[in-house]
Amino acid sequence: MTVMVEGDLRVEFRNVTGVRKFDGDDHGLSHCMKAVDFIVELPERYLFIEFKDPQNPRGRGENRQGFIDGFLRGELDFDLKYKYRDSLLYEWASGRADKPIEYLVLIAADTLTEAELSNRTDALKREIPLEGPKGNSWTRPIVSGCAVFNIDSWNRVFSEYPVRRLSS
Amino acid sequence: MALTRVTLEDFTVFDCLDLELSPGINALVGANGTGKTHLMKVCYAACDISRTRSRFAAKLIEDFLPSDRFFGKLVNRAKGDEGSGKATAQVFRDEMEVNVSFSPESHSGRSARERGMRDWTKAPVESVYIPVKEMLANAPGFRSLYARRDIHFEGVYEDILDRAYLPPLRGPLNPPMKCLLAKLEEAMGGEVTTKDEEFFLSTKQGAFEFTLLAEGLRKLGLLWLLIQNGALSDGSILFWDEPETNLNPKLYGVLMDVLLELQRNGVQVFFATHDYVILKELDLRKTSDDQVAFHSLYRTEEGGIACDTADSYLGIHPNAIAEAFSNIYDREIERSLKGISQ
Repeated sequence: MTVMVEGDLRVEFRNVTGVRKFDGDDHGLSHCMKAVDFIVELPERYLFIEFKDPQNPRGRGENRQGFIDGFLRGELDFDLKYKYRDSLLYEWASGRADKPIEYLVLIAADTLTEAELSNRTDALKREIPLEGPKGNSWTRPIVSGCAVFNIDSWNRVFSEYPVRRLSS
Repeated sequence: MALTRVTLEDFTVFDCLDLELSPGINALVGANGTGKTHLMKVCYAACDISRTRSRFAAKLIEDFLPSDRFFGKLVNRAKGDEGSGKATAQVFRDEMEVNVSFSPESHSGRSARERGMRDWTKAPVESVYIPVKEMLANAPGFRSLYARRDIHFEGVYEDILDRAYLPPLRGPLNPPMKCLLAKLEEAMGGEVTTKDEEFFLSTKQGAFEFTLLAEGLRKLGLLWLLIQNGALSDGSILFWDEPETNLNPKLYGVLMDVLLELQRNGVQVFFATHDYVILKELDLRKTSDDQVAFHSLYRTEEGGIACDTADSYLGIHPNAIAEAFSNIYDREIERSLKGISQ
């Protein structure tokens, strides 16, 4: 089992091939390329994982609501899209993007409803994009799948990667 | 004076309901068949008789339209022999109360027992019930047809046309109501005019018959008329069954702004909805000074109807609309991640 910490969030990864903190000092190109928080390797795929924590108790209340409002308006889509694409490019250049990749985004805000998460999941699919151009000239997708979660839905879907707050 | 409480015993789908009401906005949510419309119709009938002085039973028969106009059919049929044998509906305005109780054998409603009418009618309240089906486009001739023939339409359809045909108020509207009219005019692209019982939307491009308009615009037009003629004003009560029907979701925000503003100007509002965006728009647009209650009607394991009240969208429990979205979300995740979920 590997434990990773991102701010106030602690996540355990059980039964995985490997886990890397991707946006740390080892990245080396943070001045020009965005990066997801973690890359998890499974036998048949990679998981690119991005955590956002607007409810971090060390954060400021007004920023918290502003972040959530902006997220619901789609203002985070640009950032999420480029974090994924730059991470993919980085891994491709490193010779590691050799399996299908799923992109998982956790927005740790308990006020988000599943209707909102579903809506942002659809938006992220359009932005990355999940599907190639009409006529299907792409021979492989740039992302195999993606989804947006809050802590409850994440823990419901990924029982082997449980997330919890350190402060709770 | 606003309605403060309603209790229903063995009435239609209800076995025992006691609901405290908000003096502001009351949003009713729940699956089909949990009594949202019934609840509003009872409250509306109580309001209407305060002004018309009709019998409570007669108005309930008119608005519920039980088969053969047999009043006793409004007794909860699911209870069978377990029920109390009679139905009771009580509506309160603070200490003031009007109630009716009747048995399954009560035919015309004359044998129904009514109490509280004397005091209730001393303080008449203006009320408006907007039914699901839009009526303005089919208004010409409907009222005379309804008066002269036994056509199978609930009384609320005639009533809403009566309210819509009221002439404009004498004198200027107060500034908040004028602002509301302007907001609706902007959304509709014009204002409503009437000629020989026919409604038109008058725009810069000309006057368009309501039959040519999108039904969603007709709904906004109806709201405009009711504000302009004072049917919706300080102290009145609005009941609206599924305001979202045939309205583009982009206009939901305007609609919720109008309802919130009516509430701020002394109109008590009830609406029943199945729509997530309507509820979220209300939740996001209300301020801490607004009085909003979300009433969730649901069927209990025993088969009865219960109600849970919350002051925010997230507090609604159970939430049939959110459950539907949860189901969609779960299936979306399953499809998006092609089986990696554990």
